[in-house]
Amino acid sequence: MDRYRVMIIDDEKIVGDMAKMSLEREGYLVETFLNGEPALARLKEERFDVVVTDLKMKGVDGMEVLRTVKELYPDTKVIMITAFANLDTAIEALRGDVHDFFPKPVKIRELKVSIERALGSR
Amino acid sequence: MFNFALILLTGLFAIQNLNAVLTKLRFIEIADDLNANFLEMRISEKNYFLYGNAGTLLEIKDKIKTAESSIENAKNDIVRAVGAGSLSRLRSYLKDYSEMVDMVIEFPSRDMRTEAMLRTAGKTLREFSETTTRLERERMNTIIARSKEVMRYAFWGVLVMAILVSHFISQKILSSLRSIEKMTTTISQGDFRKIEESRSKDEFGSLINAINVMSEELSHREEEIIQSRKLASLGILTAGVAHELTNPLNNISMMAQNFTEYYDSLGREDRIGLMTKVERETERIQEIVKDLLDFSKPKEANLQEADINSVIARTMKLVQNMLDISNITTKLGLDEGLPGIYLDEHQIQQVLVNLITNAVQAMSLGGMLFIGTRPGRRGDSIEITVKDSGRGIPPEFLPHIFDPFFSTKGDGGTGLGLSVSYGIIKNHRGDIRVESKPGVGTTFTIELPVNNN
Repeated sequence: MDRYRVMIIDDEKIVGDMAKMSLEREGYLVETFLNGEPALARLKEERFDVVVTDLKMKGVDGMEVLRTVKELYPDTKVIMITAFANLDTAIEALRGDVHDFFPKPVKIRELKVSIERALGSR
Repeated sequence: MFNFALILLTGLFAIQNLNAVLTKLRFIEIADDLNANFLEMRISEKNYFLYGNAGTLLEIKDKIKTAESSIENAKNDIVRAVGAGSLSRLRSYLKDYSEMVDMVIEFPSRDMRTEAMLRTAGKTLREFSETTTRLERERMNTIIARSKEVMRYAFWGVLVMAILVSHFISQKILSSLRSIEKMTTTISQGDFRKIEESRSKDEFGSLINAINVMSEELSHREEEIIQSRKLASLGILTAGVAHELTNPLNNISMMAQNFTEYYDSLGREDRIGLMTKVERETERIQEIVKDLLDFSKPKEANLQEADINSVIARTMKLVQNMLDISNITTKLGLDEGLPGIYLDEHQIQQVLVNLITNAVQAMSLGGMLFIGTRPGRRGDSIEITVKDSGRGIPPEFLPHIFDPFFSTKGDGGTGLGLSVSYGIIKNHRGDIRVESKPGVGTTFTIELPVNNN
């Protein structure tokens, strides 16, 4: 059986590293990116099942990633994380067809549950 | 004023001319009577020679008397019009004629000589009188023509003066307005000192007073605005701090979670690697806290007189290594003979290091760094320029670069450097400005007052 593909985009390298470390042990294929542009380029090459992205990034931000993903692959689930947790950005993100929303600091176990649920609900 | 004098002068001249004309007119009236009288005398004279009637001679005598008495009556008017000389000549001609008539009455011999003499005397009298009258008439016409001319010149003169004067008045108003405009420009640039004390008590004086009152009000308002800006930047600060601290905290948290979760399966190297990174993230937090302290409680500036060029030279030693490894050529343009200024050397060095570090980071591919000093534009200040040939700052970011936590460097900066620098320069009662062109470079200009102790 094919392994699920998960993409992590965050300008903090450690976020991608730690998420990858944990998710790979669960059997996921994980790719990490430090900003939006190369991530979108990679997405155009290949489909991912789940995209976890930081909301606030220089250049292409989380909302733009969300829009492009939904354009390319309507089935792909997007999970948003952000250091700048305020209600407005959360509401904006959720309106834009986001599967889940995590304020930092991220609980990795909860993130894994959220990804599992995202894949199960497809 | 000049116009008024001109009009008055023209008026006086006109009255004088009118008087002269009246005198001449009066004379001409008298002269016309006399001329008629003389004509009648000559007619009687002709009748006498034609018909030999002695009664006509008595008629002539009568007429001579009438003429004499009217000359006597109008003596003053005649003198005024043609002068005493003409009057006495007239009188003598009349007397000659009268004597000739008397001679003819006494010796009515009717010889040709006497006859000719009487005729000549009569002719002379009449010609003199008529010539005088004609000349006076001509003179009168000249006076009238001259009056007309003077009036015409006066009219043009008044008109031209009126135009000139109104031009000068409008010029004066315009120049006053221009000087006030210049004064208000300094206010719009945020200099709320009183503009020039009003010298005049006219409308411009009161306008300047009004502007001064307004300027004072604005100065109070500006203090309020600065206060509210401080509060606003406190808001930005709080949000910025939250964001800046959340990221390293999240990193530590995620590493700790994995460390605990996978402790058994992790090798020794992995465990040490994670903990080293945790340590580095705590340093990051420490750095933010330190910057934050610098920002929130700017240390009291310890101002001491210093030579700015020496301060720059000492700063260059601190950054030389960084410049060398970054493939950056440095050029110094330090003006000799600048006045000493009061500054906190440590703080100014901090500002310069901040600006130079920014410049180096903007020139990741190498480039040219220029640092210069020169007298300031205000005259009582000096200017320090830090110019790089780096990538520049996009115009939309320029208004925010002094805001706390505003950074264009991504992970590289806390966004506090420039805002701390701004605070330090403001503490020195100076000014810091930025100009930048994407792809060309960025120039920071610091202006420090010479007398700021």
